[in-house]
Amino acid sequence: MTSHIAAFGLRKSYRKGKIEVPVLGGVDVDAARGEFVTVMGASGSGKSTMLHLLGLLDQPDAGQVVLDGRRIDDRPDRERDRLRNRTFGFIFQFYHLLPELSAVENVMMPHLIREGVFSYIRKRKQIRRDAEELLDRVGLGHRMAHQPSEMSGGEIQRAAIARALVARPEVLLADEPTGNLDSSTGQGVLDLLRDLNRERGLTMILVTHDQQIAHQADRVVRLSEGRIEEWVPALV
Amino acid sequence: MYKYLLCWRYLRTRYIALASIVSVTLGVATMIVVNSVMAGFADKMRDRLHGVLADLIVESRSYEGFWNYEEVMARVKEVGGDDVVAMAPTMETPGMLRISRGGRPAESRLVQIIGVRPEDRAKVGDFAEHLFDQEGNRIPPSFEVTDAIKALSPAGRDLKALESDPEDTFLKESEREWLESQRDKQVPIHGAILGYALATYHLGNGRDDIYIADIGQKVALAFPMQAKIPQTGADDFTVVGYFKSGMSEYDSTHVYVPLEELQRARNLQRASDGKGSVNQVQIKVREGADLDALADKLQLAMEQLSPMFFHVSTWEQKQGPLLAAVAIEQSILNILLFFIIAVAGFGILAIFSMIVVEKTRDIGILKALGASTAGVRNIFLGYGLLLGAVGSGVGMAGGLLFVRYINEIEKGLSVILKHKVFDDSIYYFDRIPTLVEPHTVVAIVAGALFIAVGASVWPARRAAKMHPVKALRFE
Repeated sequence: MTSHIAAFGLRKSYRKGKIEVPVLGGVDVDAARGEFVTVMGASGSGKSTMLHLLGLLDQPDAGQVVLDGRRIDDRPDRERDRLRNRTFGFIFQFYHLLPELSAVENVMMPHLIREGVFSYIRKRKQIRRDAEELLDRVGLGHRMAHQPSEMSGGEIQRAAIARALVARPEVLLADEPTGNLDSSTGQGVLDLLRDLNRERGLTMILVTHDQQIAHQADRVVRLSEGRIEEWVPALV
Repeated sequence: MYKYLLCWRYLRTRYIALASIVSVTLGVATMIVVNSVMAGFADKMRDRLHGVLADLIVESRSYEGFWNYEEVMARVKEVGGDDVVAMAPTMETPGMLRISRGGRPAESRLVQIIGVRPEDRAKVGDFAEHLFDQEGNRIPPSFEVTDAIKALSPAGRDLKALESDPEDTFLKESEREWLESQRDKQVPIHGAILGYALATYHLGNGRDDIYIADIGQKVALAFPMQAKIPQTGADDFTVVGYFKSGMSEYDSTHVYVPLEELQRARNLQRASDGKGSVNQVQIKVREGADLDALADKLQLAMEQLSPMFFHVSTWEQKQGPLLAAVAIEQSILNILLFFIIAVAGFGILAIFSMIVVEKTRDIGILKALGASTAGVRNIFLGYGLLLGAVGSGVGMAGGLLFVRYINEIEKGLSVILKHKVFDDSIYYFDRIPTLVEPHTVVAIVAGALFIAVGASVWPARRAAKMHPVKALRFE
């Protein structure tokens, strides 16, 4: 099976004052189309950094990120912005929504970024309907017009998931999406992701340190001190 | 699309930023008010200056003047052609006015004595329009000491009382003769028109001005004589009216007297034919004619007539320093007031920097969702522009409203403060003059917008440069 997204020999280090702190020391990782991969590791093992590199939020010091057999990490900014907007969907641990916008406007954001004024005006009904459908799908049909300050943590996280999925991305990158939720809410979010992964054939890479969550995936990758430690076939 | 949505939402939800543009608002409003009032004053002043001064003046460099003014006028007519509408020969000289009134010490004042033929003078500029009697009624341009004026002298009044007495006796007849001779002594045969401020005390605070030189009263003028050595001469005149133009410089110095009488008194009449000299020819020019060009042409023609003797100037050149002073005042005020808006710019800069820090995570999310660096920068630039537009828009509306109702506001303030804020008797304006110049308003608003956008450039660049990963990790 050819990989949908893959990384080879990813290296990344950060500077802290004069000291260079290596975070990733040559990571190879890949996921096939429609595969659900979890990345496990202790905090500080470089999970989030790897995810950022895969999603073009950051550039590796060495190594490559390849999407559908084409190198993407060295593309110009414009194209990287475009890929982030269309191909990747991000879910962050702190599930941040823009506080000035309502839930449905937050979910519409990827479309708002993509469209200019005139094309937005032309497509606005479709864009709003997509966002509303997705909010409904994540169980927030009753929260459309609410501001983030009026919503609970679980609701905000689900809205953030809707935002990550509204532009119909091919790859979903999730950084501890359930980290800040209680276990039942977290499981609900996870079930939702799993369903969407099956429904849409979405490739998902999910970073977690929770064994139980990790093992619901097709495959688990362990990351330790900046290297892939072992490949564990998921317990299906 | 997101840029506009976010700009708009920020504008509606960040009240602290709205507070920062209050100074933009106030600055714009103040600048509009100040400029409108100053432009109004300048405009009114130019109007009045131009009203009193003739369009063009040909003058000799010496106070003794020239006798060949008919030749000069013919030459002016020849050069100016149809552009020359009217001309008036005038003798202007510095002098001293002495007003004495029963029981009080006499008052002397430095004046500009202007000998004119009133009808001619009235044709070359506003003159008749500014002549009033003691009751404030307009009077015709004339120096004639009428019987009515004669009757206002002390002896004239006694004579009137005598005539109203029905009994007619021999004693009375001799008394009448005596009174008549007294009256002719009290009332010199030549009239003079005094500047209003010369003839009155101004008390201010809404009280009436007090006349120190009534109509029919005798005043004395002293002036330089034409002679080998500097020498002064003097002559008595009867006050026949007042000149009130609203320009305090004129109203407090000008004394108009009959041209021929001044020539005679100053010994400027030629022995051969008794013809007097003048030192100015005032010229009224057809409206719309190019004054400066005509002045240059006339200067050339005058040089041919008599080199280095005549000087031709336009009314604007005559009052150049005054008009320039107003212009300088206005530009200095504008510079100072613009600093207010510049200070507001730093307020915007500070608050924007704060907002950018506060929005770090939002910026990270936007970038993760595919927003470009330019897009993020434009959010904040757009926000700055929007704030500037709101600030200067409100300021413009406020400023224009203030200008529109400035007289009502002045009245209200006067009532509250219990004294007149704008004392109309100082400038003789019954209302505060204003002139809204659209190009000034546009320039002020554009300047304010420029400062608002300029102040947001740095925070916007900082936001745009923010690394998405660092922004997302920001706690």
